[in-house]
Amino acid sequence: MSLFSQAFRPVGSTRADPVLVALWVALILVAVIWIAPFVFIVFTSLKTNTAVMGETAFALPTDPAFSNYAKAWARGNFSVTAFNGVLITFVKVPLGVFLSAMAAYALARVPMRGRRVLFLLCVFGTMIPFQVMLAPIFKQVNAFGLINSYPGIVLPYLAFGVPYQVFILYGFFSAVPKELSEAARIDGASHFTIFRRIFLPVSLPALSALFVLDFVATWNEFAMALVILQDPQKWTLPLGLMAFQSQFQRDYGQLNAAIVMTVLPAAIVYLMFQRYFVAGLTTGAVKE
Amino acid sequence: MASVTISNVGKSFGAARVMQGVDVSIDDGEFVILVGPSGCGKSTLLRMVAGLETVTSGDIEIDGRRVNDLEPKDRDIAMVFQNYALYPQMTVAQNMGFALEIAGRPKAEIAAEVRKAADILSLTPLLARKPAQLSGGQRQRVAMGRAIVRHPKVFLFDEPLSNLDAKLRVQMRAEIKALHRRLGTTIIYVTHDQIEAMTMADKIVVLNGGRVEQIGAPLDLYDRPANLFVAGFIGSPAMNVLPAAPAGDALLVIDRFRLRRPDAATGTTLRYGIRPEDMLIGGEAAVEGIVEVIEPTGAETHLTLRIDEHVLTMVTKERPAVAAGDRLAVSLAPGRGHLFDAESGIRLAGC
Ligand SMILES: Nc1ncnc2c1ncn2[C@@H]1O[C@H](COP(=O)(O)OP(=O)(O)O)[C@@H](O)[C@H]1O
Ligand SMILES: [Mg+2]
Repeated sequence: MSLFSQAFRPVGSTRADPVLVALWVALILVAVIWIAPFVFIVFTSLKTNTAVMGETAFALPTDPAFSNYAKAWARGNFSVTAFNGVLITFVKVPLGVFLSAMAAYALARVPMRGRRVLFLLCVFGTMIPFQVMLAPIFKQVNAFGLINSYPGIVLPYLAFGVPYQVFILYGFFSAVPKELSEAARIDGASHFTIFRRIFLPVSLPALSALFVLDFVATWNEFAMALVILQDPQKWTLPLGLMAFQSQFQRDYGQLNAAIVMTVLPAAIVYLMFQRYFVAGLTTGAVKE
Repeated sequence: MASVTISNVGKSFGAARVMQGVDVSIDDGEFVILVGPSGCGKSTLLRMVAGLETVTSGDIEIDGRRVNDLEPKDRDIAMVFQNYALYPQMTVAQNMGFALEIAGRPKAEIAAEVRKAADILSLTPLLARKPAQLSGGQRQRVAMGRAIVRHPKVFLFDEPLSNLDAKLRVQMRAEIKALHRRLGTTIIYVTHDQIEAMTMADKIVVLNGGRVEQIGAPLDLYDRPANLFVAGFIGSPAMNVLPAAPAGDALLVIDRFRLRRPDAATGTTLRYGIRPEDMLIGGEAAVEGIVEVIEPTGAETHLTLRIDEHVLTMVTKERPAVAAGDRLAVSLAPGRGHLFDAESGIRLAGC
């Protein structure tokens, strides 16, 4: 109890700070709200259907039904959907971030005619919600004969991901002191060398943030995949989850096990890249 | 090592003309300083020599070769920026070796060059550090090291010391001078600080509003400023500039001081300039003024004096026993003053 009684006291003070207490309460409240669905999903994934129906949602699974995972793996056709998800995500995300970074560099640092127009086009691209574009995209992809193919899904993903990333990275690259590029130019570096050796390392925090966000978004993307990938052999994980939602049969344990397996890779990638988010990598480049 | 010739160079940014008719010739191995108030075009001129700005008109030659259309990397120059511009994610050694690495030199050669430069600049213990882990002075030295390893024909410095504190600035001034003596490379150095220019340069180019006001050795500029601008810009505290008018054979300065009139002083609107240290306490034909401020620095004493509506600064080695508000009789050292045409600002004669 003594530990707790010290918790809300500023260093060197003998009295609890009411503001600190309020902040802590708010933090804990938010954390609980955030974590509740996750706890619910994990618990449910370990329960049999009878247990799900009979207990409250947050009751601990008394007799963990690990078999839910094996069954869900088979029923959701995870060996196929996981492969597809990995393939599409691992091609699209690095390629998209790299393309965006190169485009952003060009817009920010290569003097050329029509730069502003190109940039405005990019900004315009960020404002189109792709849901309204689903039908036209389907027609377009179909016209290219790419329905049910990996390029057929990766290309629209790129088209909708790149403008937003260019927009973010353009801001980041524009903030890099121009003397850095000039010093490198004098040192004999080409634009591509400056991009690769100076701008990419300096922007690592922004790049890894974009990478993670894009990874999670692509991994979980549903609508576009549903429209373009109609062959179950090309399905991604979110499409695989549909197998658990039929009108006549609901197994909540298996459904939630499938959700856990779908979400887990994204969570792992998130945790892996989190440490690169450190800001201040540019300190020391120039004196403020 | 090389000579640099800047002939009739002009520069416009879009419609804005910021420089015209600039002629400067720089000898092989010379230490030339471009000095002038902020916004006068010093950096722009330096960046045109570096190839970072295009030359709107005129020619720039390095070592006898016209470089107007050459890329910076092909001009064989190295530049040190005001904010150092060190590559943040590279170590000191990588920063210094970057140019050689780009040029595809063998690793062993790069390492040797970096070691040599680090030795000259006492950076050896810091080679493995990142720029963020260095002090301002150390970053400054790394930026210089990056320039040295390339053995360029010309070093370009753009206000390299203005981010350092006063003490470090004095120390780095001496180091850069020593470096120049040791390497003998031509240096073009930009500063707005006339003391820096006076103490370091072989030759000073005073710029103002995109034009050259005067070019000369530091003491020449000090002793014979070509015009009122240079007279006021070089020297600290600044030269006293007072209205003057001819009166027969004599010259009347603020209607009080009577001097012998030089033959060249014919106009009616004249300005008389005299450096604070050329004003004497007492002396022939002394005029009384009121002491407004007295600032003893130890080695010398700075006095601010009011005579009628004119405020004069004087510097003396003596320690006059006066306080603010006291009267003090002063005179102008004969032959130490300068006479300028008030309209054109051009220096007419000594006086
Ligand atoms: N890229 C630019 N675009 C437009 N005007 C510029 C640019 N760079 C400099 N100038 C103008 O040119 C003049 C000289 O600038 P600069 O060479 O930086 O001065 P200094 O280095 O002597 O302080 C200034 O009036 C400045 O506003
Ligand atoms: Mg400048």
